[in-house]
Amino acid sequence: MTETAAPGPADNRLEITGQIVELDALRHTPAGVPVLGFKLEHRSRREEAGHPREVAVELAAKAMGEMARLLAGSRLGIKIRVTGFLAQKSAKIRQPVLHVIAIEFVEGN
Amino acid sequence: MPILRVALDVALPGLLDYLAPDGTPADVGRRVRVPFGRGTGEKLGVVFALAEKSEIPAHRLRGALEILRDMPALPPDWLEMLAFCSSYYQHPLGEVVAFALPPVLRRAGPLPEPDVDTLWRATDAGLAARGELRKNAVALKVLDLLAREGPQRESHLRGLSAAVGRGLPEWRELDWIAEVRVPPDRRAVAGPELTSEQAEVLATLTAALGGYAPFLLHGVTGSGKTEVYLRLIETVLARGGQALMLVPEIALTPQLEGRVKSRFPGAHVVSLHSGLSDGARARGFLAALAGEADIVLGTRLSVFTPLPRLGLIVVDEEHDPSFKQQDGIRYSARDLAVWRARQRQVPVLLGSATPGLESWHAAASGRYRRLSLTRRAVALSLPRVRILDTRRIKLEEGLSPELLAGIVARLERGEQSLIFLNRRGYAPVLACPACGWISHCRACSANLVLHLADGRMRCHHCGAEGSVPRACPTCGNQDIHPFGRGTQRLESAMAERFPNARVLRVDRDSASTPTKWNALLEAIHGGRADILVGTQMLAKGHDFPKLTLVGVLNADASLFAADFRAPERLFAQLLQVGGRSGRADLPGEVLVQTEYPEHPLYQALATHDYDHFADAQLAERRQAGFPPFSHQALLRAEAPELAQSLAFLAQAKEAAAQLPERQEGVSLFDPVPMRLARRAHLERAQLLLESSSRPRLQAFLCAWLPRLRSLSAPRKLRWLLDVDPLEL
Repeated sequence: MTETAAPGPADNRLEITGQIVELDALRHTPAGVPVLGFKLEHRSRREEAGHPREVAVELAAKAMGEMARLLAGSRLGIKIRVTGFLAQKSAKIRQPVLHVIAIEFVEGN
Repeated sequence: MPILRVALDVALPGLLDYLAPDGTPADVGRRVRVPFGRGTGEKLGVVFALAEKSEIPAHRLRGALEILRDMPALPPDWLEMLAFCSSYYQHPLGEVVAFALPPVLRRAGPLPEPDVDTLWRATDAGLAARGELRKNAVALKVLDLLAREGPQRESHLRGLSAAVGRGLPEWRELDWIAEVRVPPDRRAVAGPELTSEQAEVLATLTAALGGYAPFLLHGVTGSGKTEVYLRLIETVLARGGQALMLVPEIALTPQLEGRVKSRFPGAHVVSLHSGLSDGARARGFLAALAGEADIVLGTRLSVFTPLPRLGLIVVDEEHDPSFKQQDGIRYSARDLAVWRARQRQVPVLLGSATPGLESWHAAASGRYRRLSLTRRAVALSLPRVRILDTRRIKLEEGLSPELLAGIVARLERGEQSLIFLNRRGYAPVLACPACGWISHCRACSANLVLHLADGRMRCHHCGAEGSVPRACPTCGNQDIHPFGRGTQRLESAMAERFPNARVLRVDRDSASTPTKWNALLEAIHGGRADILVGTQMLAKGHDFPKLTLVGVLNADASLFAADFRAPERLFAQLLQVGGRSGRADLPGEVLVQTEYPEHPLYQALATHDYDHFADAQLAERRQAGFPPFSHQALLRAEAPELAQSLAFLAQAKEAAAQLPERQEGVSLFDPVPMRLARRAHLERAQLLLESSSRPRLQAFLCAWLPRLRSLSAPRKLRWLLDVDPLEL
C-alpha cells in the first residue's frame, strides 16, 4: 500500500482528521496479520456553496498490519489524521469503511 | 507330475497352475515361490490345491521354484474362508490372500523369531558361584535377584543393566542359570462380581459353546459387556479353545489389551492391527497359526487370522462402520466373522449398545439370538439426556447458556465435561467477505479446512495442503475470515472463556500418533483436564470416571443427509458419546443442542430408547425396500472427466442387459455422479444394484464381472465393485 501517484480516474484517497470514538480489540487474520476496527468522529466548520456550516461525520475504519499495531496502543478520544481509501464493508453490505494507509497523531493530545 | 494350484497376488481371478515334482498333499496351504512374467521374475503365492491335470497344455506349464515348508501350512478352513471372501466380494483370490497374510509372510525370507520372554532361574552352581564374583559384577546382581525373588522374566533382567543381554548366554553356558519351562496358564484372575443380568446372559452363552450360534448382545452403555466377553473367553480357554475378539479401532486395542492381559496373566494374548510393526504382525499371525496364541485381539484385519483351536468369536461394537473396509477388498469383518463362526461351528457374539440395523433385524427375525443388558453395571443409572432447543436463544461460541452453566458446575465440582463436535480443524472454510471467494480444494468438490494450530489449509478428502493465504487470492483483501467452527476453534474459545480450566482437544490431529493418543488418554484419566473438546475419537469404549457432562454441538447436519444410513449412524454416535458420561459413581448428564428438538431421533435418544428407534427405522427401510430388506452392490467408476465415468457405467448397465440368462430379481439403477463427485482430480459416478435375494445378486455379479473386465474404458478410468456397500 503505497501512496498513489498523480490523480487519475481510479482515485480513492481520503484524508480526514477526527477523534477515535470506538476502538475494537486487536484481532488477527488466519495468516496472522493484525486487524483493528475503529470509528472516527470528525467535526469541523467548512464552507459549502459559499456558505459556512457545521460538519459532523462518523466513519467506520479499519487498520491492518503496522497501522493496526500502532493504533492498538491508542485510546478513545485521541485525535488522529488518517490517510486512506474507502471500500465497502463486504460484498453484501455496501456501507463504506475507511481503510487506513497512514496515521498521524495530531498535537494537543 | 503333481500340479500346484496357486493363488498369486495378481489382478487375475482364479488360481495359476505350476508343476512341482516334490509337491504332496501336505503342501496345500504352504507358501510357494513361482516364476512369473518374463525372465527371472518371481512371486510368492499360496498353494490352494494339488491337481493331477491342468487345463493348460503341459508344455506351457512352468515349474514352481520352491515350496516353503518353514511354517505350518495354512489350514484348509483358512483357505476356504479366503476363497469365500474372494467370491463374495468379487475380488481376485490372489489379492485377497496377499491382503490376509502379514507383509513379512508375503515375501520369501527368514521368518521372525518368536517373541518369547524366557523365564530364568538360578541353578545351584549359580548360587554357589556368587562367592567368587566381584562385588559389582552384573552376574552377581542377577544371581542375587534370582536367589531373592525366584525366577524372573528376561525382559525384567535386561532392565537391570545393558550388560545383561550379553551375559545371559554366557551364564547359561556356565550353567549358572537355566530356563524354566512352564506350561501356559490360561486361567483368569478374579473379575468383578457379575450383576444378575450379566450372570444370566453368561449362562446362556456358556451353554451354547461348542457349536455354531450367533448372538446379538444388546447392552446399554456401561452395562459391562466387556466383562461378559472376558468371562466367556475364560471358559473357552479352560476348555482348550482360542478366542478371537474384534474391536473397531486401533486406538481402542491398547486399552482392551491391557485389560485382557491383566485378566489372563499367563495366557498368550496376541494383538493384531495395522499399526503394528511388520515383525510383530507376523509373529502374532504365526503364534495363532501354531495354535499357541490363546486370545487374538484386533481390528477388522484380524478376522483373517488362522486359529486351529478356535472356540469363540466376539465382535465388540459390532455396529461400527470401521468393520467394513472402504478401499481395496471391501469386506465386512463382522459379516465374515459370522460366516467363519458357522464354518467352524463356534458361537459368535456381536455386542453393542446400538446394534447395526442389519443385526437388529437378524435378531428380530430369529436368525440371531438376542440377549440384553438393560442396566448399568457400576453406575447407578444411565445419564440424563436433555434436548436443548437453540432456535430462540443466543449462543456464545456455539454454546447455549445451559451448556455453559453445566460446564461451570463441573468445574466447581472438579468433574470433567466433554464437548462433542465432530469436525476437526479450526474452521471448515476460509472465505473473503469482500468478494465472496471461498477456499475450494482444487482437486475435489470440497473446501479446504483451516487448521490454525499449524497454520495450514487441508483438504480432508484428498489430503492436499498448503499454507494459509495471507490475502484473498481473488481480490487481495487481507481480512479473510474463517467460517464455521471446528474443534480447534472451540478449544481456543473455551480456553478464553474459562481461563482457569485445563482444556484438552482430542481429535485425529492432536492424537496423530499412538504416543500422543496415549498421553491424551492419560491426561484425561489422571484428571489433568477439565474440559475436553473432541470428535468421535472419544465416543467409543472409553471409561472416564470423572466425566459427568457431555455437550453435543452441530448434530443436526446429519439429520437430513441423503444417505439412508445417516440417522442410524447419528443415533449410534450420540448414544455412544453420551454413554461416556457418568460411568462411575457420579451421575451423568448429556445436553444435545439442536434446532429440531421434536425430531423423533432426539426423542428416542432422550429416553434411551434404542429399541423404539431401531424398530421405527426398520419400518421405514422396509417401506423403501432398503437393506436389510434388500441387498445391494455398488459399481463405482472414477476418471478425469465425469462423462467418462458415467459412460463406463452406462456400458456396464448395457452389458448386464445382454447377459444370456437375463437375471431376474436384480434391479440396476441409472448411473449417477457420487455425492462428492470430484476427489483428488478424479470425477466419480456410481451405479446401484439391488435385489431382494442375496444369492440372486451373487449369481448376477458372478456372471456380470467377466463382462465388466472386458469392457473398453479410457486408460485412466478405474472401477470397483462394492458388495453390501455401507455408504451410498
